[in-house]
Amino acid sequence: MKVFRHQIILPVAKDERQEGEDERVHDAHDGQDVGPAHRAGSQRVFVCLLAAHPLHLVTVPAVGVDHAAQNQAGTWNRSSIISGVAQTGMAGLLEHPGYDGEKLRRVSEQLPCREVQAGMLLSLMGEPQQYCYPSLFIYGHRASGKSHVVNVLMKELELPHVTVSCVECVSVALLFEQVLLSFFGCDAASLLPRSPSISDFVRIYKQQTSEFPSKQTRYIVMEQAELLRDANVNLLPALLRLQELVEDNVSVILLSEIVWDKFRPNTGCFEPLLLHFPDYSKAELLHILSAHRHPSYSAGFYSSYVNILLGVFYAVCRDLRELRHLAALNFSKFCEPVAAGKVKETETHKLWKNIEPHLKKAMQTVYLREVSSLQWEQMDEHETGALRGLSAHTHVELPYYSKFLLIAAYLASYNPARTDKRFFVKHHGKIKKTNFLKKNEKTSNHLLGPKPFPLDRLLAIFYSVVDSRVAPTASIFSQISSLVTLQLLTLVSHDDQLDSPKYKCSVSLDFISAISRTVNFDIVKYLYDFL
Amino acid sequence: THHHATPSIPNRAQPARRPGNILEEARARLHVSAVPESLPCREQEFQDIYSFVESKVLDGTGGCMYVSGVPGTGKTATVQEVMRCLQHAAEQDEIPPFVFIQINGMKMTDPHQAYAQILQKLTGQKATADHAAALLEKRFSHPAPRKETTVLLVDELDLLWTRKQNVMYNLFDWPTRRHARLVVLAIANTMDLPERILINRVASRLGLTRMSFQPYSFKQLQQIVTSRLNKLKAFEDDALQIVSRKVAALSGDARRCLDICRRATEICERSAARLVGMSHVMQALDEMFSSPYVAAIRSASTQEQLFLRAVIAEFRRLGLEEATFQQVRSKHQALCRVEGLQPVGVSEGLAACRRLGACRLLLLEPSCLGVLQRVRLNVSQDDVLFALKAD
Repeated sequence: MKVFRHQIILPVAKDERQEGEDERVHDAHDGQDVGPAHRAGSQRVFVCLLAAHPLHLVTVPAVGVDHAAQNQAGTWNRSSIISGVAQTGMAGLLEHPGYDGEKLRRVSEQLPCREVQAGMLLSLMGEPQQYCYPSLFIYGHRASGKSHVVNVLMKELELPHVTVSCVECVSVALLFEQVLLSFFGCDAASLLPRSPSISDFVRIYKQQTSEFPSKQTRYIVMEQAELLRDANVNLLPALLRLQELVEDNVSVILLSEIVWDKFRPNTGCFEPLLLHFPDYSKAELLHILSAHRHPSYSAGFYSSYVNILLGVFYAVCRDLRELRHLAALNFSKFCEPVAAGKVKETETHKLWKNIEPHLKKAMQTVYLREVSSLQWEQMDEHETGALRGLSAHTHVELPYYSKFLLIAAYLASYNPARTDKRFFVKHHGKIKKTNFLKKNEKTSNHLLGPKPFPLDRLLAIFYSVVDSRVAPTASIFSQISSLVTLQLLTLVSHDDQLDSPKYKCSVSLDFISAISRTVNFDIVKYLYDFL
Repeated sequence: THHHATPSIPNRAQPARRPGNILEEARARLHVSAVPESLPCREQEFQDIYSFVESKVLDGTGGCMYVSGVPGTGKTATVQEVMRCLQHAAEQDEIPPFVFIQINGMKMTDPHQAYAQILQKLTGQKATADHAAALLEKRFSHPAPRKETTVLLVDELDLLWTRKQNVMYNLFDWPTRRHARLVVLAIANTMDLPERILINRVASRLGLTRMSFQPYSFKQLQQIVTSRLNKLKAFEDDALQIVSRKVAALSGDARRCLDICRRATEICERSAARLVGMSHVMQALDEMFSSPYVAAIRSASTQEQLFLRAVIAEFRRLGLEEATFQQVRSKHQALCRVEGLQPVGVSEGLAACRRLGACRLLLLEPSCLGVLQRVRLNVSQDDVLFALKAD
């Protein structure tokens, strides 16, 4: 039965494929919903699918079900052993005909906990002279080793390749130039016209390959490939079938944090092979982090430190880079009692008692970049956290009337207009309390965010809030517009600047209460939400 | 250095093959490019245009004529035949000699190129568009001894439209000059083009000499094909009649009629029949007129067909002609369960959806919206149901 026609998704381990989880992650709708449909999916190869590749050139060596089983057993073992010494049997997992065994051993040393993905990639790439699949799409969360695995493979195996960051290539000309430069040298790159099109690139590429044919597969690695979607609409489809266009043994590897489903152009394209890099598990993180131990302390000491660090931070952060940064920052504090001779290296509980509050503090300060890491390191002398973070610097000095204007704007934004009479008119008629407080409106205004208000209402509230008589001079109006330039107010509708402009107040409740305290104004009394 | 890309038609190594049998002979004669000597069924129009141009050439004055009609009614062929006859007459010294040039709006990348092309065809001079406009202006507004009448044929006039309409204005203003001796024949598809897009001062200069080509009736189409075949016995009479009736009912396009006849000869050749019969013609008509959407839906994969059914089910539930992918997906999964198939994941569902979108069975929003993209059908629901029910 023909269920799917031409998409090859590297398949999914069955137990991962529960529907509930499936839907939960896709409801997130942000750019990073890496669907769990492919989570851990890359461990097995559909041998039959790959063998049916139209080029008949993708070889599928022994990295198959056996290896996946082996590795899963390995993972379980690893999680029980805390020290990093457990990894001795894992090297030598990478085997592929056509590559030097020594080189492969060096590769697998550099790729801890990524042997499966590297082996998978290697088997897709095939031997150097064989044709690779035209395009591979590698996706996974931040710091899951995508670029690292690809770069190590390319470098160590000495394959002809070019690594292009799509962030750097603000125009396609730069992209084409980099590719030609690293494949054929600067003579080829200088042949490109001033604003090259894809056909220019293909023409020069073809001409160069006929002059300098390569026996090996050439690889173009595109990092942050999600930016290709914003480039010319024809660029991504052209890159996906570049092998066909230039008639050369070239393969494009796209790296991205976003799933392939959000890449497909409207007119369809050649579907690449999808390869997912799963997140590191806690045991894997422990293993990788423990590898970089301090030379003057034992391996067991360092990995117990990493274990404590992960105990605090794993709930909020699984980013390897971030964790590595935190581990480097806080290690000196951890070994302070040992250096002072108070505690022995083996007394883990005392060490934990010493470092745990420090790490908790770090989560609120240095992890949020409230305090820079330099300040954090210098903080040893004075009490940790005595330093004021970035967000404590939100206090702004404003002129007297600007403060009232801002207060009036805040009141206008968060109070419904029908309550103005009750708050700001002295002799308002009798209003029944039951009518006044509508049930569904209660407590909702601060959750829904500010509402736009016209200039007239702002001025009316302003005059009733300010005690003295204020003339509506030019300075009052210019203060309103300077509040807009300070981004404390936002101009909402841009249709008319002069005639009844509408504004929104874009400051927080904390900010406005700090401001109103300086002018002795009790703002909470005037807010409908806190009535 | 490497910019020698001059487009050209590849050279033919061997001479064109002579038609071998009757069907090949018929195919050669029915080819659209094989314009016959005389155009049947357009005698009246021929006469009108002929006398218009002839009178202008004889008087040494200028004028405009606007020719309109739907595609495939023989406008360009008729005008060109008129010009051939007039040139022949001029050679015979029956009328004074004149210059004939033609431009085509479709062949220009920019409307202002018209000036440069006219100038080049008149004098062989190359100039930029602005300079050419100035030179032509001078040429058409000043008297010159022994000036010949110029007949200018402007095909696809609507493509010469610019915001200020200065190209069209000049084209229709020059013939009104006293010393211009210019006859402009403008051809376009719509009858009310001057009223619809031309500003008044251009429309008034175009004048009221209009001619509209009616679509061919079935008798005329039959006559055209018969005259082309010229006593060659390749078609059954009934077969020809059904082709002309079908085409006349839809568009009255002679080119379409000829294409169908040629296709029918090919089908006949494959079925090893001697004469093109009813069945061949019906098959050719089916190929030409039937919608490819139904065939595309029928040959879609199981999941794609299920997705289409889910789309229709969701439309029925909502009472709207639009739903988000999320909504369709819940129906899709339910349908999978009913059919006893493994329910598909979000990625597979999206892949099926995008493939349907890529062949334009669905209209989709950009894929970066993910599951929130809205789905609409590009075909009628009845077509989808008909295609899905058949198997």
